[in-house]
This record gives sequence, C-alpha cells and structure tokens, in this order.
Amino acid sequence: MHTPYLIWIILIPLLGALLNAGFYIYHIKFKKLPEKLFAIIGTVTPFIAFLFTLNLFFKLNDGSENFEQFLFQWLDVDNLSIEMKLLGDKLAIFMAMFVTFVGWLIHIYAVGYMKGDDGFGKFFAYFNLFLASMLILVLADNPVILFIGWEGVGVCSYLLISFHYTDGDNVMAGNKAFIVNRVGDLGFILGVITLFFALDKTGISFGDMQANISIASNDLLILSGFLLFVGAMGKSAQVPLYVWLPDAMAGPTPISALIHAATMVTAGIYMVARFHFLYSSVEEIGLFIAYIGAISAVFAAIIATRQQDIKKILAYSTMSQLGYMFIGVGLGFYSSGLFHVFTHAFFKAMLFMGAGGVILALHHEQNIFKMAQHRKRLPIISATFLIGVIAISGIPPFSGFFSKDAILAAAFQQGEYLIWGVGMFTAFLTAFYMFRLYFVVFVAPNGHEKEYSYTDKTITFPLMILAVGAIFAGFLNFPAIFGGSAFVDTWLAELNSVKLHMSHATEYALMFASIAVAVAGIYVAYKKYANYDVYKPESEEGLIANKFYVDEVYDKLFVQSIKRLSRYFDETVDTKYIDGTLMLACKGFISFGKKLAIIQNANVRYYAFYMLAGISATSMYIYITLIGQ
Amino acid sequence: MTSLTGYAAVSMILFSLGAIGVVSRRNVFIIYMSIELMLNGINLFLVTFARYHFNMDGQILSIMVIAIAAAEAAIFLSVIILLFKTKKSLDTNVFTELKQETE
Amino acid sequence: MGAADILSFIIFLPAVVAFILMISTTKIEDVRNIAFITTIITLILVMKIYLNFEPKAEMQFVTNIEWISSYGINYYIGVDGFSLTILMLIAILIPTSYLLLWEGRTKGYWLNMLLIQTGVTGTLLSLDIILFYFFWETMLLPVFLIIGIFGSGNKVFSTIKVTIYTMAGSLLMFVAILYLGVSFFNEYGHWSFQYNDLTTLTHLGYNEKLFLFLAFATAFAIKIPIFPFHTWITGTYSDAPTGGVFLLSSIMAKLGVYAVVRFMIPFFPDIFVEFSSWFVFIGVFGMIYFGIAALMQDDIKKMFAYSSASHLSLIAAGVFSLNSYGINGALYLIIAHAIATGGLFLLIGLLHEQTGFKTIKDLGGIAKKAPIFTFMFAIMLFSNVGLPGTNGFVSELLIIFGIYEFNHTMGYISAVTVLVAASFMLWMFQRAILQERVGAPLQMRDLRIKEIVGLVPWVIIIFLMGIYPDPFIDKFEPTVTHYINDILKIGAIK
Repeated sequence: MHTPYLIWIILIPLLGALLNAGFYIYHIKFKKLPEKLFAIIGTVTPFIAFLFTLNLFFKLNDGSENFEQFLFQWLDVDNLSIEMKLLGDKLAIFMAMFVTFVGWLIHIYAVGYMKGDDGFGKFFAYFNLFLASMLILVLADNPVILFIGWEGVGVCSYLLISFHYTDGDNVMAGNKAFIVNRVGDLGFILGVITLFFALDKTGISFGDMQANISIASNDLLILSGFLLFVGAMGKSAQVPLYVWLPDAMAGPTPISALIHAATMVTAGIYMVARFHFLYSSVEEIGLFIAYIGAISAVFAAIIATRQQDIKKILAYSTMSQLGYMFIGVGLGFYSSGLFHVFTHAFFKAMLFMGAGGVILALHHEQNIFKMAQHRKRLPIISATFLIGVIAISGIPPFSGFFSKDAILAAAFQQGEYLIWGVGMFTAFLTAFYMFRLYFVVFVAPNGHEKEYSYTDKTITFPLMILAVGAIFAGFLNFPAIFGGSAFVDTWLAELNSVKLHMSHATEYALMFASIAVAVAGIYVAYKKYANYDVYKPESEEGLIANKFYVDEVYDKLFVQSIKRLSRYFDETVDTKYIDGTLMLACKGFISFGKKLAIIQNANVRYYAFYMLAGISATSMYIYITLIGQ
Repeated sequence: MTSLTGYAAVSMILFSLGAIGVVSRRNVFIIYMSIELMLNGINLFLVTFARYHFNMDGQILSIMVIAIAAAEAAIFLSVIILLFKTKKSLDTNVFTELKQETE
Repeated sequence: MGAADILSFIIFLPAVVAFILMISTTKIEDVRNIAFITTIITLILVMKIYLNFEPKAEMQFVTNIEWISSYGINYYIGVDGFSLTILMLIAILIPTSYLLLWEGRTKGYWLNMLLIQTGVTGTLLSLDIILFYFFWETMLLPVFLIIGIFGSGNKVFSTIKVTIYTMAGSLLMFVAILYLGVSFFNEYGHWSFQYNDLTTLTHLGYNEKLFLFLAFATAFAIKIPIFPFHTWITGTYSDAPTGGVFLLSSIMAKLGVYAVVRFMIPFFPDIFVEFSSWFVFIGVFGMIYFGIAALMQDDIKKMFAYSSASHLSLIAAGVFSLNSYGINGALYLIIAHAIATGGLFLLIGLLHEQTGFKTIKDLGGIAKKAPIFTFMFAIMLFSNVGLPGTNGFVSELLIIFGIYEFNHTMGYISAVTVLVAASFMLWMFQRAILQERVGAPLQMRDLRIKEIVGLVPWVIIIFLMGIYPDPFIDKFEPTVTHYINDILKIGAIK
C-alpha cells in the first residue's frame, strides 16, 4: 500500500544533518552560534522521525498491508532495474522504531556529553546523517539501496570515530573500522551480484527475489548466502572481521552507544532477516551463521573477562551478544534473534551511556581499576548501571532473560547441543565479567579519591527511560507458557521458518538452567571483586589479556605483507623491470649512435677518404652494371 | 695518333697521386698541392680526349677548370692562413673541433 | 554557418583565441581572463548541443567536407551519445578548473591549456581517422611544453619520456591507419579514411587484422595507461604542473578509452571479442596492482597517479567485458573518475602552492586550518573510493556486474576495487590532512570564493549522479546498446 510518509522518516534526520552542517560552516567561518541551536535541531529531528514510525506501526498493528513508497527509477541498464523504493513492512518498522527511539534518547544524552566541544555542531550533523543512513538501510526495498544505507552508516561511523581527528590514533581506529567493514562489504556486493545472476536477472528488489527464489541453483544460493553473511560479519563484528569494534571505542561515548551498540552493528542481523527467504532454503549456511555467532560470543566473552578499559569491556560484550543474535537468526528463529536485538539495544545503550557518565565525571578516566565506589556520588548512574548489568546477565524478570533464553531454547530444540552448551558457558562468563565491571567500578571499597564533576540532567534523563525499557521490554515477548501474548514473535512471525515447540517441562528446565548459570557467574564475580583492592590492578600479561594476539597476527599477515608488496611493486617491478626494459631500448639506441659516431672523428683526411671511397665504389658500380657489358 | 693509353695513363697516375696525397698527408699545404695535382691530372685527361675526338668541348672545360682552380687557390690559401692563426699549426690532426665527445 | 558548424566552432575556438593572444597582449590577467571566457563560451555551446541531442544511436551534428580529396581524407566530425557525454564532461571541467588555477601562471601556461582543449575536443569529435590522428598528435605538443617548461622536479626528462613513449605508440597506430587506407583502396578502388567506410573492409586476413588490432591497442594502452605500458605515468604526473596533470589524467587518458570503443570495436569486432578475456584480466590485474603500489607512496602526486591508473584499468576492463553493464559502467566511471581525480589533483596543487610540501611527511594539520578545503577534499576522496551516494559507487557497481556476467571469477576479483582505493586514500587523508603535524604548523589558507564556485558544480554532479543516475545513463545507453548489438552480431557469427 502506498504511503507518502516513509520518505519523511529518512528525510527529516537528513534535513537536520544538512541544517546543522550549514549552520556549523557559518559558525566556524563567520559568527559563533550557540550550542543550543545545534542541540535543538539535532534532538528534535529523530523524535519527529520516531513519531512517523510510531504512526505507521499502529496502522500495521491494526492490520494494514505493508507500506511502500516508490520514489524514482534509480538505474535501468539491460536487465538490471533498480528503483529508489522504500518498504515499510513489519520487520522494517520494527527496526525503525527502536532505532529512532533509542537514537533520540542518545541524541539527548550527547547534548550533555559533548558540551563544550569545539565541533559540537559538526557532531550533531554527523549524528543525524548516521540516523538517516541507518533508516535508509532499514527501509530499503532492494539490496542496492540497502547497501547505500549500509555504506552510509559505515562512513558516518568513520567520521564519528575519528571525530577528534587531530590525534592520529583516533583516525587510525576510524580507518580500521572503515576498511574492515569494506572487506565485509566486498562480500555483500558479491553476494548480491551472485544472487541476481543466479535468479536469472529477474529482478533485484526483495519482493522480486523472494518470488523467484526457486530459479536459483542450490550451490549458488549457498554461495550468495555465504557472501552476504561476510558482509554481516564485517558490519556486526563477528569473527574474523571483528577487530575494528574494540578500537572504535576511541570515538566519543555517544557514538559507541548508538552506533556500536544499538544500531549499526545490528544491521548485519537485520540483513540476514531481510534475506530470510534465501537462508530458509539453504540451511547449511544458517548453521554456519549460528556457529560463527557462537564462536564470536564465547571468544568475546573470554577476552572481556580481562579487559581493563570500561568501554572495551562493553565493546566485547556487544560482540558477544551479537553472536547470540546470529545464533537465533542462523537457526531460523528470526523473531527470537530480532527480539534480542531489541532488548540489547536498550540495555547496552544504557550501559554505554552510564559508562560515559562515569568517564565524564572522572575527567575522562577509562580504566576501571582507577575508578571506585561511585554508588554514593553518582546514584542515578549507579542504579541504572546495575539494572543494565542484571538485564544483560539474563536474570528474570528483566528483559535480557527472555530474549536470551528464547535463543538458547531454540538451539536446544534444534538439537544443536554444542551451540547450546557454548551459549550457556557464555552466559556464565557474561554474568561474570559484567558484574566484575560493576563491582570494581561501583562497589569496591578502597578507591581512588578523584574529583567528581557534576552530571548533567541530559545525561541522566535518557538513562532512566532506557532503564524502564530494560526492565520491562521483556514483557513485549512474554512467552506463551507463562500466559503471555508473545507479541514480538507474532509480529515477526512471517519470517520464522521454525517455531518453538517443546514440552513445558523442558522449557522450564532450560530456563532454570540459564538462571542458575547466570547466578553462578554473579557469585564468582562477587567473591572475587566485591572487596577488590583497586591498588592492585590485574596484570596485563597473558594470552587472554592480550586478546589472543589477533590484532598482531592480522597486522603481520595482512598489513605488513601488503605494505611490502606495495614497495615491491613500485620499486622492483615498475622501476627495475618495466622501466628497465624501456631504458634498455633507449640505451640501445644511444650506444648504437655512439658507435656510429666514431666515424665522425673530425679529422678531415678521414672525411676525404670516405668521399673518395664512396665515389669510387659508386663509379665502379655504375660502370659494371650499366656500361661494362 | 699515339694511342690514348699513354696520355690517359699519365693523367690517371697524376690523379691518383693527388688523391692519395689528399688522403694520407697531414700538412695542409701538401693537401692543397695534392688537390691541385688532381685537378691538373683531370685537365690533361680532358685535353687528351678533346684532341683525340677533335672536339673543342674538352679544352673549354679544361680552361674553366684552370680558372676555378685559381679561384679556389685564393680561398684555400686565405683559409690556411686563418687556420694557422687559430692553432699555430698546419697539422690536420690538430683540427678536431667538430668531433663527437666520447664519454 | 549552420547549426551543424557548431562543432567546428567548439573545436577551433580555443586554438584561434590562443593564436590571437600569442601575438597580441602580454598582460597575464588579460590572457587569463580571455582564456577563461573562451572556455565558458565553449561550455555554453556544448550545453546547447547537449540539450538538443536526441538519444538515438546515430551521429548528430555532422560536418563532412573534403580536405585532401586525392587521398579521401575528409574533415568529418560528428557527435553521438558516447562522445557527447565526454564532451560535456570536458566542457564543464575545464572552465571550472581554470578557477582553481587562477593565480600565478604565465601567458604560456594559459595558451597551452587552450591548445590542449582544442586538441582534445578535436580528437573526440573526429570521424575521419586521419583527422583523428591529426588531433591526437596535436594534443601531445602543448602537453610537452606545459610539462617541460612549467613543471617541477625532473620535468625535462619526464616530458621527453611521455612524449616519445606516446609517439612510439602513435607511430604504430599510424602505420595501421595507412594500412587500413591502402586496404580500402585495394578493395573499393577509391580512397577513404572515414570511419564508417573503413568498417566495411572484408578482405583482410586474420593475421593482418591481428597486427592492426595490436597496433591500435598498443597506442591506446600507452595512453590510458594499461599495465605494463604505464611506467611513464608516475614521473609525468609527479613532475607536471597542476593544470597539466589535471588535463592528462582527467581528460586525455579517457580519450584512450574512447578511441578503443570508437575505433577498435567497429573495425575489428571479432578480434576484440577474442582478446577480450586478456584485456579484462589485464584491467583487473592493473586495478589491483596499481592500487597496492599506491599504498606506500610518500609523494602524493605519485600516489594519485597510481590511483588514477587503477581506476583507468578498471574502466578498460569494463569496456572489454562486452556487455551492457560493463560498458555503461565504464562510461559512468570515466565521468566519475574525471571529476574526482581532477578535483583531487587541483586541490593538491593548491596545497602545494600554499605550503610547498614535498611528501606526505611534510604535511599535517590541514583540516584545522582549512575546513572547507578538507570538506571538498573529502567529497572527492569518497567519490574516488566509491561510496554509495556518489557517482563512483554507481559506476563501480555496474562494472562489477558487467565483469561478473563476462566471467564469474574475474567478477569476484574485480570487486576488490571497493577495498583498494579505500585503504591508501584514507591513510593518506589521515596523515596529510587530519592529524597534527610533527613540527611547526603549516601556512595554509582556506578556499576562496572563486575556488569554491569552481568546485561546487563538481560536488553537485557527484551527488546528483550518485543519487539519481538514471537520466545521465539514458543519454548514452542507446549508443552502447547499438555497439553491443553490433559486436554481438559479428561475434555471434563465429
């Protein structure tokens, strides 16, 4: 059903970005403008977008058809017809809702966080641009337009990570993010192309591809499914393309909250869900995705147990939770995976923002062993942080429990006991390292006496709202066995290929197991860290503490070798071989010329002799051939 | 008529002597004298054949050659004087300005 | 003077003005202003053609006058969708580039720029192959002068190298042209060098055609350049003055590609099809090779030279992929690359004038001092990298589609292009522009109004072509389809 409103969801933040950009240029070139101007434009636009999305949500909920909006013909060459068209179906609106809502809250938070920064206006321009790109990604009707949004968020991520660009390290982190993302994008583009040609060029919009999926051969479907997932690996920081995420913490905290917790990193899962028609027909790839998710989850959790930077812990935690989401969608339980995306957005954004609050209050200190005992001094942050930590550990009735449990139950039901086991172990570790973080930062008794700054209301207000979400969002998908309506499951039911159907006994047993595992993790953390002596920080030695040396391996394997190859190409192949061959030709000419020049020795007698010889020879020749018959 | 061969032979010998002299002598004066010798050899050749065929053309040509030789003598000798002024020598091996520089 | 003569006017106006200026004024400002006005007039004329052009697959605005009639050489010019697009590109790029080259040049510089414009336009519009060759060589001489006189570094060596190297290729091509003319005479009894006549040759043996094809291919491969005929590019781009390198990379290189499509496809379609795999391979290989070589460069201009070569190799691969996606994509990339690379070179030229830097190590902290410069630079950079939303993306997407359809494996390898430019561009951007400099800060002024006015049309085109590509492609798609059906018709006979 056509609607003219979809485009406004995207255009309004985009307009905000352009306005802020224009005002910012005016601000640095001509006259300074007050921060309030940028702040108001920056925070009002996401909210308006959210209202539009909400409106469409209610209409869909009332039983309306999916919304579409055709804008214009984008490209039309041969059989490739790409339209600039937006699709607002249940999946898209679901994503758009929490993206705009959480995005709006983080924008408010950013007003307080970025106060006093020189590039205040620029920040909000980029931030709104990011939101617009994410919405393009989510509302796209075909993978090429999706890719425009996909790259858009990648570029904004780059711009925002390297926001304080005068420090080269920040820019390096931004570069790393962009380039590793691009490796993923390479896979994505190839996946789209393979799929398009496998479907015999019948069409590129999601609807067309879904209708024609049976044309493609199974092998090509597997190949394109794999390649598309490579894109997701890059965007959603799964093994092996995850290395950019911890470094991305170099950006200001609001970015980490929005981009690297709630939105951009979830684009990979959204993409897999969007291509559900493909993944449902090739279950091998789905299993592969689930395994990658499981590996990433446990890998990240292990590393997180020994990290000392508060944001890096949260970054690895994000990677770990993303792994859970991929387990869900990989096994075909799209609604469970996406539900975890939803709940995770709330509590992870809140955790990041809380961390940011602590960092600001302590004047940009990020090492957890240099913070202590903030419960009294930062009560709101402390309380919301605790809520977030409980939620992520999967303790009912907070939301994390419902979403994580659904995924684990799914794995168990499908017979993937290995994945289930890994998931349980990761849940244990999650509870452990998150509570480690909480205890060391907020509880441990003897701490450093640091100067505290005052915390803005703009920082605490979003935290409180998100806390509510973190606590209660679980009820949106309250499982049927407790008498709930499983709202999200039914909302996204058209995606699911598999449904949860186990006996109640098994379900209760699994739930009990997850809770037990989480409690065990909390207990271990409590024993070790509640009374931790922060003057004795943990060592930084060891395999785990050094993140399994993955960065170093990548550096040696890829970066250094490409650099060497580059030098080799330029200096040896180009200069020595190719140019050398050319110069041989030149030198050949020159030396030949020199040899000829020996004749010209400036001695007149030789010239006279040459003349004589020449004339004689010619005369003889003429005489012999013409005359002497 | 005495046969041509004697006269032709003499003029050829004169010409050859002149040619060899031009090529192999180093002194500029000697080169000049050899050139004159060549010219005179040709003159003899021309006159011989003019007499043999009773045709005046050869003799006219030979007078022209004598006239040109005289003009050439004038120029040649002036050039020799100038050359001597620059290098204070009359050895042709000394005059190598036009040579390609070897590296 | 009818409507059809407008093309001749476009071609010769800059040269005529150049000659007049050469003998009349000496004040540099006058020379520059008059040159600028000339290019604007040319732009207006080209726009008139663009708007009156009908999207059909035939030549329009044709002029055909006998020139050297005893050898069938005519003054035969015309424009079709393909050359029109490139013509429009040239016409827009040159005046706006003048705005970025405004200060501090001498009279000879401007005169040479005008002459190059004539040469380039003439090459583009010639339909008689001897006339084409005439203009092809005419392009070389002003470039030779502009690099040799106004360049820097090893300028004399570089300019001699590029001139002789290009001429060697052109010489081969000239032999081939003469051979074609003689064959035509032997077959039909009269001379003609018109390109549509020469396509009707039927008596050429396979070996002859092969030799001719390779002769043409060598000449164009040197011009574009394609691996391994590229070694002149680093020295020349690095030592040329800003205007010279801009014209070389943005415009003249494209003419090599144009010539391949215009002449090699119609003349030797069967050999073209036969050798296409080789050229696609060389193109893709070159794209990766040059991209990697660019990474460790310290001299920014050399890095951009490699980057330029990388994109041009990709364009060549697209052209040889023999399908609609690839060739349309190649054309699109011609435009995208001309704008992005041209913009980057001009901006670097400005940077060099202000700061006098030699290598990346000398640079840093530009972003703080010159934010608008950085902004423009970033936009050109992202177009070069192929970011969606810019024309770079659309073109690379189409080319990858095209190469994939041609050969799946090649298609996969060619997609690496999304990675290649990103790596060295971003690293360079970080070191040269963003991060703080080690040592004293550099003197750099931000862009002036004139320069911003010059660059704004390019930025608009980049985004317009990236967000709404369809109308741009529609102008040349019929011609491309015609060429493909033409080749496929011949190739399918085999």
